[in-house]
Amino acid sequence: MNTKLLPASPAASRSGRPELSPTKRQARGWFDRQYRQRMLRTDLLTVIAWASVAASVALWLADGGAAATTTVAEAFTAAGIVTGLIGMDLVLLMLLLAARIPFVDRTIGHDRALEFHGKLGKPSLYLLLAHGVLLIIGYGLAEGLDPVSEAVNLWIQVPDMWLAFVSMALFIAVVVTSLVAVRRRFPYEFWYVVHLLTYAAVATSIPHQFSVGGLFAAGTWQRWYWLAIWTYTGTALVYFRILEPVLATARHQLTVARVEAVAPGVVNIVMRGRKLDELAGTGGRFFIWRFLAPGMWWHPHPFSLSAEPVFNGPAGEGTLRVTVRNLGNGSAQLLKLRKGTKVALEGPYGLLSTAARTKNKVVMIGAGIGITPLRALLETTPFAPGEATVLLRGHTDRELYLSREILDLCQARGVRLFHLTGRRSPTNSRSRSNSRSRTNSTWLPEDAVRNGYSLTSYVPDIADADVYVCGPAAWAENVIADAVQAGVREEQIHHERFDW
Amino acid sequence: MKIRGAVAAALASAGILLAGWQAGTQVHGISTVTSSTTATGTKGSTGTGSPGTGSTGTGTTGSVGSSGTGSSGTSNSSASGTYTGTAVQTRFGAVQVQITVSNGKITEVTPLQLTDTDGRSIQISNRAAPLLRTKVLAAQSANVQTVSGATVTSRAYLTSLQAAIDAANL
Repeated sequence: MNTKLLPASPAASRSGRPELSPTKRQARGWFDRQYRQRMLRTDLLTVIAWASVAASVALWLADGGAAATTTVAEAFTAAGIVTGLIGMDLVLLMLLLAARIPFVDRTIGHDRALEFHGKLGKPSLYLLLAHGVLLIIGYGLAEGLDPVSEAVNLWIQVPDMWLAFVSMALFIAVVVTSLVAVRRRFPYEFWYVVHLLTYAAVATSIPHQFSVGGLFAAGTWQRWYWLAIWTYTGTALVYFRILEPVLATARHQLTVARVEAVAPGVVNIVMRGRKLDELAGTGGRFFIWRFLAPGMWWHPHPFSLSAEPVFNGPAGEGTLRVTVRNLGNGSAQLLKLRKGTKVALEGPYGLLSTAARTKNKVVMIGAGIGITPLRALLETTPFAPGEATVLLRGHTDRELYLSREILDLCQARGVRLFHLTGRRSPTNSRSRSNSRSRTNSTWLPEDAVRNGYSLTSYVPDIADADVYVCGPAAWAENVIADAVQAGVREEQIHHERFDW
Repeated sequence: MKIRGAVAAALASAGILLAGWQAGTQVHGISTVTSSTTATGTKGSTGTGSPGTGSTGTGTTGSVGSSGTGSSGTSNSSASGTYTGTAVQTRFGAVQVQITVSNGKITEVTPLQLTDTDGRSIQISNRAAPLLRTKVLAAQSANVQTVSGATVTSRAYLTSLQAAIDAANL
């Protein structure tokens, strides 16, 4: 057996964090209320998203669009206008989902926001393509011109239309390059730069929306509505993606204090800064870091804090820590960061935090470098002694990064801890896992599977707990499938992708 | 919870669409009823035109009244000079034309205003105006076919033109 079990010991009193007293929160059904509030916010976001789509169609209806549609040409034109309105509304929703608005982040989390963002990519492109094609056909029919001549006419005769054609080409380029297949073939940086073209595509599409269509002509209330949602989206993007990070960087004045080896290819980067008291409770959530050294400053690194911020000075002076594994091109340089290097930060983002809790009990399951955010979460998230379980997975003991610190925390707070080391089970192919047998726990070590262990062997009461999963995507998928089988509901599972 | 969100979203969307639809039908109800009577031009005799007709469904509201400035200004029958038609409001902007009359014949039609609220309307106006001018000069009246794809602009153009012709007593 490569597992070990620590008897739960009573929690040592940890001074200095009175607000995290577990009993206070649990006594009042605090987590349940937090969960219900979060679900209410989720529903609110759903309503806002759908209502915005409906509103974009209603703009056209209110202008008398439907009643004025009588001929075939007008029907094409009407369809073209409506697809354009919906397509653009979806683009605005995509931008808002990628704007890192705190309300969205603490409601559905950064991961799911980007997942929805990605899901809207293709529909909005198809709608915008249809918008262009239908309008060219509709206008052409009305004027007795073939679509090609009509397109040329629009390009030459109507101001701002050439920009709209450029915008369409850019949108196509962005979506094509964002498709997963392409993303795999090109390095991340290439994909990132191409993605920035989205802003060019959106910007070039704006003029014709206000100058060409009669719907948003000067003096209409529709124009004000459209201007308002554009202004809100633009402001949110600029504020949360540019201004806030700049302000946070200036506020915290982070510099690299030291880089400590944890294991081969794995280091702790400790940063010194000020006003870190403002970041208390963000352990486990991630920030996007930029190390401001030659050749590195432009490369953003999403890393989670691997420990709660430590601060003791009068102005919140203290240290932050991330634990980093050399995963490729960008992170290799991080292993030899110079002391004193300035650091820019954006965040915190994500829901791998107490804000996602729905139950009093907690289970944390981490693998490899994914262990490190759980280490920070373990430090602060409230629970009573005996109500938490930690499962750490690695090939060898050396891959259980920070395991010494985790052991100490578990002893101090009364947490059951299992080390799951050893080779992967050879029957980990997906062909086996869909046989729905009980032995699809391929995220476990080979010998654990052979002995018939599954998730519930380690955590019998998992169905009544929040389950935090952090590790490589395929592995995490497997853990989640096992948890669902054990009766854990979707809202109890908190998963952070850790393979980007 | 998911069901609650879905139901709320569906209801909100349906409500917004219904409100939009309702507002849309009212827009058309008003535009066909209202016909403002704003006479443009101050010089010369302000004539009385007929109320705008044939504007149902297109959102065109015809306005009546026209003014003309005769070069001689003495005789109404042997018309010569320039006559300005009424400014006809459409939902794409106002349309107003001026005709030049020489010995009882229309020799030139000059658009003073054309539908121009948006780029698309400008494109339509620029295409339709020369075609209408040619037709009018050939027919010597406002009884010409509208330009397809530019119905609103054409009707407003011809309404304004008729007012100018009336002012010239042709």
